[in-house]
Amino acid sequence: MAERTAGRSATVEVEGRRLTLSNLDKVLYPEAGTTKAEVIEYYARIASAMVPHLADRGVTLRRFPNGVDAGSFFEKRCPSHRPGWLGTVLGPGDSNGSIHYCCLDSAPALVWAANMAALEIHGPMARGADIDSPTMCVFDLDPGAPAAIPECADVALDVRHVLEGLDLEGFPKTSGSKGLQVYVPLNRPHTHRQASGFAQAVAQLLERARPDAVVSNMKKSLRPGKVFVDWSQNSRHKTTVAVYSLRARPRPTVSTPVSWEEVEAAADGAPLSFEAADVIARVEDHGDLFAATLTLEQSLPADGKI
Amino acid sequence: MPRAMWSGAISFGLVNIPIKLFTAVSRKNVSFNQIDTRSGSRIQYRKVSAADGEEVPNEAIAKGYQLSSGEYVLVGDDELATLDPEATRTIDIEQFVDLDEIDPLFYDAAYYVAPDKGATKPYALLTRAMEEQGKVAIARLVMRTKQYLAALRPKDGMLVMSTMVYADEVNDPAQLDGVEEMHDVDVSERELRMAEQLIESLTEPFEPERYEDTYRNQVLELINRKAAGEEEVVAAPAPAAEEKVVDLMAALEASVRDAKEARKRHPTAKAAAGGGGADEDDADDAKPARRSTKASKATKASKASKATKSTKAAPRRKSA
Repeated sequence: MAERTAGRSATVEVEGRRLTLSNLDKVLYPEAGTTKAEVIEYYARIASAMVPHLADRGVTLRRFPNGVDAGSFFEKRCPSHRPGWLGTVLGPGDSNGSIHYCCLDSAPALVWAANMAALEIHGPMARGADIDSPTMCVFDLDPGAPAAIPECADVALDVRHVLEGLDLEGFPKTSGSKGLQVYVPLNRPHTHRQASGFAQAVAQLLERARPDAVVSNMKKSLRPGKVFVDWSQNSRHKTTVAVYSLRARPRPTVSTPVSWEEVEAAADGAPLSFEAADVIARVEDHGDLFAATLTLEQSLPADGKI
Repeated sequence: MPRAMWSGAISFGLVNIPIKLFTAVSRKNVSFNQIDTRSGSRIQYRKVSAADGEEVPNEAIAKGYQLSSGEYVLVGDDELATLDPEATRTIDIEQFVDLDEIDPLFYDAAYYVAPDKGATKPYALLTRAMEEQGKVAIARLVMRTKQYLAALRPKDGMLVMSTMVYADEVNDPAQLDGVEEMHDVDVSERELRMAEQLIESLTEPFEPERYEDTYRNQVLELINRKAAGEEEVVAAPAPAAEEKVVDLMAALEASVRDAKEARKRHPTAKAAAGGGGADEDDADDAKPARRSTKASKATKASKASKATKSTKAAPRRKSA
C-alpha cells in the first residue's frame, strides 16, 4: 500500500478507539493558517478539561467542512455514520419529537468531531438524562457595537454584584467571539422556567439601574452601544457555546474560563481573548477554572424574588 | 412573508370577498443536477429532430396530437389560447357539503386562503358560519389556464382550499386484480373481533410530527458527509489489516509541524490579524489577560514566554 502522506490521512488509536482522520493539512482558519491537524490536536489536548463539561449532554455541532471563511451547518441530529461506541442522548427536536444528539464524552469522541471540522460545540444547560432540569443558569452578555469586551466585562461585574447579594457564585468565561458569559451552577433540581425567569429578572434589574449600558430586550435595534443580557439562553431548546469550544473567528479563539480578576482588568481595557495554544497553557498552569461549575450546589431564589 | 400565488375573490351569492392564495405545502425533496463525471460540468438538454439528430429551433416546434392512424394533428398555441377558460378572478362557491362526504382521494394540492385588504369582516363571517354549520364549500376557479374544482374548509379560524381531481380522472378500482373476489369472502365474528381489538390497541391521536422522511435525512447526511470530504466513513469497522494504526499525537506531529513552518515563512497572516491597539497591548506585561488574541504568537519561543506571563496572571477564583 502506498504511503498516505500526500492528502495526509491516518488511522489512529485514541484511548483504544480506532479513528480514520482525513485531510489533516486542510487549512480551516485561513487568516491564522491553522490546519485541521492543529484543531484536532487542540481538542485532543483539551479533552481532559473539556469532557467533564460535555459528558451526558447532547451537543449541537457547528461544522465548517471548508474552513471558517466558507459555509457552515449546524448538526443537531447525531449523524448515523457515527462510530458505534459514540454515545447519544435524546433531546428536543425541531418540531415536537425528540432526536438523538451526539454525546462527546471522551477524547476519541472529541477527536471524531474535530475530524468532521466541527469547530464549534454548543451545549444545552441540562443533561441528557434529565433534559428538563438545567444544571446551571447562564447570562450571555452580547455587546452591540461600538460596545465591546470592556463594556461586557463591566456588566459581568454588575451581574457578579447582584449574585453576591444573593449568596450565589458565578463563573465567567469568554464566548470566544465578542462577548462574555457568566454561569451560575445549580446542580439542584430547577426548571428551565426558573432559570430563565431568574436571569430575566436580573437582566431587567441591571437595565433599570443602567439604562444607558444594559438592554434586556432581544430587539437588535436597541443594542448599539449597549450590552444585551441574553437571559433567553436558559430555555430548554437553546444551546450556548460549550466551555473550551473553538469559535469560527478569523483566528482560533476559544470560549475560555477566566478569573474575576481578569474580568476586572478587562473592564479597564485589558484584552480578554485567548487562542487554542493559550488555553492549553492556561489549563496546564491553573487547571480547569470551570471545574466547580460541575459540583457546586446552589439554589436560585423563589420566582422573581431578587 | 411568502408571496401570494393567486389573488381574486370568493364569490358567494351576492357577496364578493377579496382573497389571496398561498401554497400550504412546500415539498422537501432533495433535488440533484446531472453532472458529467469526466469534466464536472452540468448536463444540458437540447431539442433535436428524431429524423436527423439536428437541433430544432423553438419557433419551429409545434404541438402534435397523435391519431390512431399514426398521423399527427398539429395544433398552434394561438388556437389553444382561444379555448382557454375565461380568466375570471373568482372562486365561485357552487354548493356546500359535509366534510366526510368528500373522499380524500379527490384532494390534490392545498392552499391557504387569506383575506385581502378590507375583506377581513366578510371573510371572518363566512369562515365562522361554515365552522358553526360544519360545512365545506365546493367551488370552481381558474388558475393559470386550467379550470379547477376545489373544496374550501374552515381550519383554525381561516379557510383552507384544496384543489380536487375530477371524477373522470379517478381510475376504476374494479379493474384491479383480486378486488372482485374480496366481496364474497366470509369472516367469522371471532376473527373480526380480534382484528378490531388490534386496531383499538394501536389507536392513538394522529401526530404528524412523529413521522419524518428518513430517506431524505439519510440522503442529506450523505451529502453533508461528502461535502466535508469524508467519503471514507470515519471509524468504520477497521478497514484492511495493512492499514497502519499509529498514536494520535504521532500522526498529527508532522502536519502540525508543517503548519507552524508555513506560518513562519509567511508571517503576513500574523500581521493581518492585529489591528488597532495591538501594539500598545504588547508593551504592558504586568496585568493579567495580556495574552490576548492580538498578542499571541504561534512560535514555540513565544509560547514559553507566554507561560511565564500566565504564571503572573495566576487567576484566583474568589473575588476581591
